[in-house]
Amino acid sequence: MTAAVSTFARSRRRSELSLGLLVIVVTVGGYVLVALANGPKLPPNVAILLAWVFGLYLVAHLAVRRFAPAADGTLLPIAAMLNGLGFVMIARLAGGGKDYAEQARVQSVWVAIAIVVFVVTLIVVRDVRIFARYRYIALLLGLVFMLLPLAPGIGQSRGGGRLWIGLGPLSFEPSEIAKVLLVAFFAAYLADKRELLTQGRIRIGRWFVPSPRDLGPLLLAWGVALLVLAYEQDIGTSLLFFGVFATMLYMTTRRSAYLVGTVVLLVIGGLVAYKLFGHVRVRVENWTNPWPNASGSGRQPIQSWYAFGSGGIAGTGLGLGQPWQVPLASTDYMFTSIGEELGLVGSVGVIALFMLFVGSAYRIAVDTARPFTKLFAAGIATIIGLQSFLIIGGVTRVIPLTGISLPFVSYGGSSLVANFALLAILLRISDDSVRAEIPSRAR
Amino acid sequence: MSDSILTVLKFCLLALLYVFLMRVVWIVARELRGSASTAAAPAVPLPAPAATGAGRASKRREWRLVVVAPETERGRSYPVEGDVTIGRGGGCAVPLTFDTFVSQVHARAFDRDGTLWVEDAGSTNGTLVNSKRIGEPVKLRKGDRVQIGETVLEAQR
Repeated sequence: MTAAVSTFARSRRRSELSLGLLVIVVTVGGYVLVALANGPKLPPNVAILLAWVFGLYLVAHLAVRRFAPAADGTLLPIAAMLNGLGFVMIARLAGGGKDYAEQARVQSVWVAIAIVVFVVTLIVVRDVRIFARYRYIALLLGLVFMLLPLAPGIGQSRGGGRLWIGLGPLSFEPSEIAKVLLVAFFAAYLADKRELLTQGRIRIGRWFVPSPRDLGPLLLAWGVALLVLAYEQDIGTSLLFFGVFATMLYMTTRRSAYLVGTVVLLVIGGLVAYKLFGHVRVRVENWTNPWPNASGSGRQPIQSWYAFGSGGIAGTGLGLGQPWQVPLASTDYMFTSIGEELGLVGSVGVIALFMLFVGSAYRIAVDTARPFTKLFAAGIATIIGLQSFLIIGGVTRVIPLTGISLPFVSYGGSSLVANFALLAILLRISDDSVRAEIPSRAR
Repeated sequence: MSDSILTVLKFCLLALLYVFLMRVVWIVARELRGSASTAAAPAVPLPAPAATGAGRASKRREWRLVVVAPETERGRSYPVEGDVTIGRGGGCAVPLTFDTFVSQVHARAFDRDGTLWVEDAGSTNGTLVNSKRIGEPVKLRKGDRVQIGETVLEAQR
């Protein structure tokens, strides 16, 4: 490593460590506040939590120091802050029911597993181009993961969607892993074919359009992904894939025709889904006017508005609201729980965390030189951004609700593992581009 | 615990969250300012070949290879003084480190009595002059385009 790189790397790692200390203070402080709301005594397990949070952050930080020393210094702390706030809310919900108490225990284990996956990804993926080399294997595995919930025996249905698989006591949402693999495939494929897709080979009147041969595999992968998801009735994930791939296609070609085409397809798809599927109609009705179903399917969004309303500007305070009144308060409606107890100020803070995360991720994409890594990083940034928009927009009634987890915050192991793997990949790309960039600048 | 103390503690927690946000913004802003000043740095070495060319007026017809594609690298200019190597290896006189389709030592270019020649150096993906793959050394005229990997260089003098 040259001197310029190592000075830069040291300053980035120092920022990461100092931001991390703030994360630990906020997480443990939040946990203590929840306990104080119920009584004057500190809970006995605060020391354990402190050790757990501190230890996990230290492991992740040291892994970055060792394996990606020049990587961006803000992404890990932001992810940890989101994760910490999420954990405080899940642990806080434990007072609201047995299920939630169990979730808090399970989540603390999943966080550790996610950190292990993060470290392993950093160690194993020394060069992200490995994903480009095995692009078709990534595609195949991605599709298999998406199909798994449909397999008899291990597939499980919950709340209208068939998207989990159960292996003994553990349940898992394989589409979260498929997300990583499919974005890798699309980035590799688009980086390869970008000229063909931009300029086109077939001429129709004044326009050149890409030949079906170049678009074929793309449309196939896309179509299969969406069909499977429609069959599993998981609107949120379908929308996420659709949006991410359209964005990546646009970023590759800079042709707005692709964006217009996507919006048209989306409108047609939305209308067809509205006519065909009852659960889509319910979502739209609950978006426009849930009051006729106030005691049925409309109860959830209405409770969510009450929760936001009772939170007000600064929130009821941790441990002082009633977030368990909203069904699914720890997963889809996680943002509502935060809005109730930390208010507008806290929820705007969470949105700002996501914006900074996505901003830093796009900056990594801009800084890297190679087409594949650029698209991969931009795809990851888009996934996190779009996913958080879909669910935050859904619970705040900006768009119809599509059940999907809030990245890093919501309860759920597969989502955590997948998002920490994405984080590790981003840091790897960031580290590579700094090492490639600085020597050439010095020259 | 009394409500007022809890309220104060709640505001402390929210304040810490915003301190965190401010610090992140500050760190990113500092890096952006820093990279703006380092990005300005290559502007100094880049025009250097032109400057030396102008300085040696007697030898003013010096050949140069200028990157025209990919867009991100457009404008990089390399003088061909005598015999130069082109490749992905950092030791090459024309280092195309940004292009993965370029071999470590991909091609060589040389100036013989004012004529610019280019020759493939046993590369994996070959060298193209004006879109034709070359097997032996080829004379370049002004404006000819040499494609190496995904990078296109234009001969200029």
